[in-house]
Amino acid sequence: MIRSMKFKLTLMALLLLAAAQLNAQQTRTVKGTVTDAANNNPLPGVTIKAGNSNTLTQSGTDGSFSITIPEATQTLIFSYVGYADAEVTVKDEMNVQLTTADKSLNEVVVVGYGQAIKKEITGSIVKVGSKDIRDFPAPSFESALQGKAAGVVVESGSGKLGQGIKVRIRGTSSISANSQPLYVIDGLPVTSSSLSDPTNDASNPLADINPNDIESVEVLKDASAAAIYGARAANGVVLITTKKGRNNQKTVFELDANTGLSNPARLRHFLDGKQYVDLYNMAIKSDAQYDLDNDISGYPDLETAIADYTDAYATYGISLSDLAGGADYNKINTDWQGLLYNRNAPSNSINLSATGGDAKTRFFASGFYNTQDAIVINNKFYRYGGRINLEHSPTDKLSFGINIAIDRSQLNRVTTDNAFSTPGQLVALPPIQPLYDPETGELNNNTLYPNSLFDAKYNSDRQVSNRTVGNVYANYNLLPFLSFRSEFGADILNLYQEAFQDKRTTDGAGVGKANNIIALSTSYNTNNYFTFTPKLGDKHKLSAVLGMSYLQNDTKQSLTNAEQAPSGKVQNLSGATSITFATSTNDRYNFLSYFLRANYVFNDKYMLTASVRDDGSSRFGPNNRYGIFPAFSAGWVLSEEDFLANSNTLSFLKLRASWGLTGNAEIGNNSYYSLYNISNYPELPGYIASQVPNPDLRWEKTAQSDVGLDFGFFNNRLSGEVDVYYKKTSDLLLNVNIPATTGYTTITKNLGNMENKGIEIGLNATAFSTKNFRWNIAVNAAYNKNKVLDIDGQIIESGFSLTQRAVEGKPIGEFYGQKYLGVDPETGDAQYLGEDGKPTTDYGSAARVTLGNSNPDWTGGITNTLSYKGIDLSFFFMAVQGNKVYNAAGTYQSSGFYNGFDNETTDMLKAWQKPGDITNVPRIGYFYATGYDNSSRFLYNGSYIRLKNVSLSYTLPSSFVTRLHLSSLRFYASAFNLLTFTKYPGDPEVNTQTTGNIGGGQDFYTIPQAKTFTFGINAKF
Amino acid sequence: MNEMKTYRYILAALFFISCFACNKKLDVLPQNNVTSIEDGDDVKALLYGSYSSLQGASGFGERYIFIADLLANTDMVDYVGSFSIYKDILNKNQTRESSIATGIWTNSYLLIEDMNIVLDKLDLVDEDERDAVAAEAKFMRGVAYFELVNYFAQPYSAGSTGSNAGVPLVLEPTYIYDESKNKPSRASVEDVYQQVIKDLTDAADGLPETADNARATTYAAKAFLSRVYLNMGDYAKAATMANEVITSGYFTLTSTYNQAFNNPSNSPEDIFGIQNTAQSNAGTSNNGLSTFYRYAYDANGNGAGGRGEAQVDANYFNYFDDPNDFRAGFVSDGYSITGNGGIYTLKWLTFYRVIPVIRLAEMYLTRGEANLRKGGAPIGGVAPLKDINIVRERSGAEDLAGVNGQDFVDERFRELAFEGDRLWTLKRLKSDVGDYSYDDPKLVLPIPQREIDANSNLTQNEGY
Repeated sequence: MIRSMKFKLTLMALLLLAAAQLNAQQTRTVKGTVTDAANNNPLPGVTIKAGNSNTLTQSGTDGSFSITIPEATQTLIFSYVGYADAEVTVKDEMNVQLTTADKSLNEVVVVGYGQAIKKEITGSIVKVGSKDIRDFPAPSFESALQGKAAGVVVESGSGKLGQGIKVRIRGTSSISANSQPLYVIDGLPVTSSSLSDPTNDASNPLADINPNDIESVEVLKDASAAAIYGARAANGVVLITTKKGRNNQKTVFELDANTGLSNPARLRHFLDGKQYVDLYNMAIKSDAQYDLDNDISGYPDLETAIADYTDAYATYGISLSDLAGGADYNKINTDWQGLLYNRNAPSNSINLSATGGDAKTRFFASGFYNTQDAIVINNKFYRYGGRINLEHSPTDKLSFGINIAIDRSQLNRVTTDNAFSTPGQLVALPPIQPLYDPETGELNNNTLYPNSLFDAKYNSDRQVSNRTVGNVYANYNLLPFLSFRSEFGADILNLYQEAFQDKRTTDGAGVGKANNIIALSTSYNTNNYFTFTPKLGDKHKLSAVLGMSYLQNDTKQSLTNAEQAPSGKVQNLSGATSITFATSTNDRYNFLSYFLRANYVFNDKYMLTASVRDDGSSRFGPNNRYGIFPAFSAGWVLSEEDFLANSNTLSFLKLRASWGLTGNAEIGNNSYYSLYNISNYPELPGYIASQVPNPDLRWEKTAQSDVGLDFGFFNNRLSGEVDVYYKKTSDLLLNVNIPATTGYTTITKNLGNMENKGIEIGLNATAFSTKNFRWNIAVNAAYNKNKVLDIDGQIIESGFSLTQRAVEGKPIGEFYGQKYLGVDPETGDAQYLGEDGKPTTDYGSAARVTLGNSNPDWTGGITNTLSYKGIDLSFFFMAVQGNKVYNAAGTYQSSGFYNGFDNETTDMLKAWQKPGDITNVPRIGYFYATGYDNSSRFLYNGSYIRLKNVSLSYTLPSSFVTRLHLSSLRFYASAFNLLTFTKYPGDPEVNTQTTGNIGGGQDFYTIPQAKTFTFGINAKF
Repeated sequence: MNEMKTYRYILAALFFISCFACNKKLDVLPQNNVTSIEDGDDVKALLYGSYSSLQGASGFGERYIFIADLLANTDMVDYVGSFSIYKDILNKNQTRESSIATGIWTNSYLLIEDMNIVLDKLDLVDEDERDAVAAEAKFMRGVAYFELVNYFAQPYSAGSTGSNAGVPLVLEPTYIYDESKNKPSRASVEDVYQQVIKDLTDAADGLPETADNARATTYAAKAFLSRVYLNMGDYAKAATMANEVITSGYFTLTSTYNQAFNNPSNSPEDIFGIQNTAQSNAGTSNNGLSTFYRYAYDANGNGAGGRGEAQVDANYFNYFDDPNDFRAGFVSDGYSITGNGGIYTLKWLTFYRVIPVIRLAEMYLTRGEANLRKGGAPIGGVAPLKDINIVRERSGAEDLAGVNGQDFVDERFRELAFEGDRLWTLKRLKSDVGDYSYDDPKLVLPIPQREIDANSNLTQNEGY
């Protein structure tokens, strides 16, 4: 290592000394405003770039700007999304108007450790702006990326609030290691994995980020873009940039308030009371008929058999009147499903910000408060917080600042889907069971399964997070072409969770229980780097970044469980008298990295980028601690070539290609050590061996090639990009099974490889554009195909109910099990594919085969935006194609009463009854039903098209709002998940295991997505 | 600014970003685990860890006992819960993927690995403690191999013990995993039994007569040896071992039957028992003997906290010949967590209490039966009839006037039901287990599929 460091230092010194020979230039400062030509409204966030140099700024909220440019600069180029670029001759005071047009190529895009102009980028980066994020009614901003960014697959898993969200960029690139992307806020990598109760679903720490503070989200997809984050970039990188103030900008206040209401987007259909009684009687008849047909008990006739089976149901199962608690079951019709949802679950949000600046200081400050009730009972999310982004430039050479956000959130949770106590399982209760006990008038506790309304009423589970994410930085221009930036950031996340289970509830187990979790995660990170931008004349443009970064995370957690609570009045540890379990864990990891990147542009036509990063991590032993991650990319703007320059139709064409290596180390800490756990036998504390060492453990590496084409036609009225990529992950960090006779079951090893390949298409078209009316269409689509190439012949299984696997030659996450072939019309037996390829009715001897995959082939979205004067209407459809969803609860909901007297789905009424019946629902009956086992009978095509968002807004004319002393006023109304088209009988956007690599797409009483309406107002003054 | 100053700033910044000291920061030691065994205390800690392994759900905390009873379910216990892994055992439908088989296998070998490390690192232990530590480690290893060979191989009584496959014998620690060395094949049933006898005999020689904290004693080793010899049909040795325990003077039957169960610490009758506390147990929600055997709702419908999924079979009561036998009434009505009504044994009623692994009552029954089957002068000088009546009298059952082998089998059932004895008694006597012959492949657990996948030298048991 020392040798390579010396080499690095020599390289740095040479580069910098060469640079120092170049001379400084004279500069001048230009000010002005940018407005919309159509309505004279100020345009904030317009990129202003000095012609033929790298100097950049953006306009403020009131459209004003100030830029210091080289004296020699002739023109400024103004660019803004959705507007035509304007190149304007430099004056001291400039008032520029932009007209709406094509998608801009001069937009500024944030890249790792710097920013770049879209036109000159050679990697694959997708940018999502604040407009798409701010009004989205989900606690966390990632939800807003769904369907907006090609190749970024976002699965929220359920309609519960604050749950972990599975994000996959260009497919799953690991098997045992985490495949979630790296999240970086203003240069600071942040904690994104759950710290809460490990027995419940993962929660989402990113929900602590206020979406309204976000200026833009850039997703770095290919290796060229991401490799600057080397070791942690194999799953892609999501860069979040928060809003900043501008120089010489009048202070603008912005108030945004909205209110909303939510209901389930899509429900499964269950039997009502009368149908339940019908199905129960059908089941008796079906069993009786089967007995008679097969001469099992030797009944003389069907009538006798039915009478006998009615008794048998009561004896071995339960009778209808017992279910109804002795009441008249014909008169009871309890809608248990209705009871688990909040009707019109409310949400409210208010956000106030101020932004501005003078000649030397710029600021953005905001505060927010928001409350949201989930569609499922007892699940709420509240939060409030504030942010200050402040920057000061005492001299031309120095600027420094701070970006800091502090917030508090509270999440009231329900239990995991696989618990009797979770509200989602209420649907299992028969509709002929009364809600209230007729004798006592109290909530019925004589239900078939534990009545989770008790848990909802008496239990609590509150998780409070306090979070501070911030960094301080200083930027010093050592020379006109060389600056040094130093950043120090910290992400401090403090979580406090208190849960209580009353003794009257299932989870309280007759004694009353309390749990407490305290978690403290502290990450600090420092980035220190030089930026080198020499002036090499008109044709050459070079910029380089060289620096280091160090990140250390300490996570400390304590967990205490107690029981024996005398009552439900004190709902914390002090209310439960006997501690049953208490422990604490401390974990540390760190990363030390050096990086270098150079971009070269020749004549605005040819671009080259090279980067290399050297990463070391505490997660690997001294033998293989460091990994080197290089990347190269090139771009060629064909439209600048003579043979295309004069084309009338083609306005822009760029070919890009990149190759690079990125790494993954998300395997948890201490994997290379030999480990012994502490054991706690009474009076004899001891050790138990837990891990066999692997001192040779090294980085998992992903090599990715990407070829892309960026194009614009008709003066960029139609523009877009197409990318094809191939990603190959090797040295997979795999938990490899070893013989347990060693005392250990797995060892973490580097073994095997896996590939992802795909294509991504983004199109943006202005279909119609006049002074007053504009219609814009944005389309994106992505296809990804994963394949496990080599895992040494192992089969790694996961999955909730129906097995899912990673197996060579197949994509990760394949469903594997018995294939259902429908019902034999003569016998009503469920048929499965047999080992011999022929149908069999014996489930035990059926073949286990590959049944499809939980990961989609195609994902995409279409957004239409229509604007007429101040009115904007947009509708956004998203689509997912090619995935399967398994209803793991099907074995209970559609077992024909074989697995219990749960309420069943309405399709069970179509069950087979007599020879000749053509149906897909096999014979029912508590004794002789078939088809109730896990099989493809409950596996569905999970493809869907969803009208994710429709929004309508009206911006009042500026002539009117100025009279109210406002600078702008906008009213808006939005609907989310309004329409869904799918073959899946429930909500297709479900995943009971939120973040695994192999398992996914399993529905187990999972709460569907919410259908939400919001109404809001936005004012600037 | 002059140029020199600029260069100095650049060099200072360069030095700063080189971060020479950072490399050392990458050496992070685990903070929740021990990474090496360095001294005598560490070795002893590993030894004590074995008690936790026995206490866990895959040890005596649940499966060493419960799974034998589910396999032998006829007329004793019914499983009415929804966990298919237990239902499968009850119905003899267990598959190669059975997580119960995998759990027993991996937990036992983990204990064996820990004991192999202890025996390998004995030099670190003070000389005066060394022999006792070695004896205790061998006790643990012997017990684990005995359970393994019982569950994963045909019984000794099936004969062909030299060729019937037992389980792999691993007697050296695995410090580094080596594919070429760490894929053992199965030793014969005979070899495993001989290793068990060797370990337990060494343990009996080296362990003290009494020990604090319910640790293993020489009598615990001898009591296990009596089981081993009984399985082998070596009745003289079985009777000798049982007799040594009975005559040691350290153990007495509790005055009433119920006092032998649900105790916070070992009863005078416990020769070896697993200790439990609210903080240290095999589980209270999804695992643990009490979790399954305790009713979830009592007879009045009040929540009681168990799952209540293991219920007493109604036919069990037919085995009692005396209406005054206390043991027949040592049950209660109640409901399972899903509301199935049934009868529950009270042996495992209370959470966090001692799990008796070997009680003195068993030693009387073993001595009596072994003496009877051996014939000739009874070892210990006590007639078999006397031994069986000692056990009966404690529960208020009328004395038998004469005794035969079947009487002992039935008495063991009355006395030791739900304690994991029935299956091994039927197997050693080649008696049918319900509808299954004693050597039916389905009464042997499968070698876990994951184990066969990871070790090509293993052969699967018949029937899987």
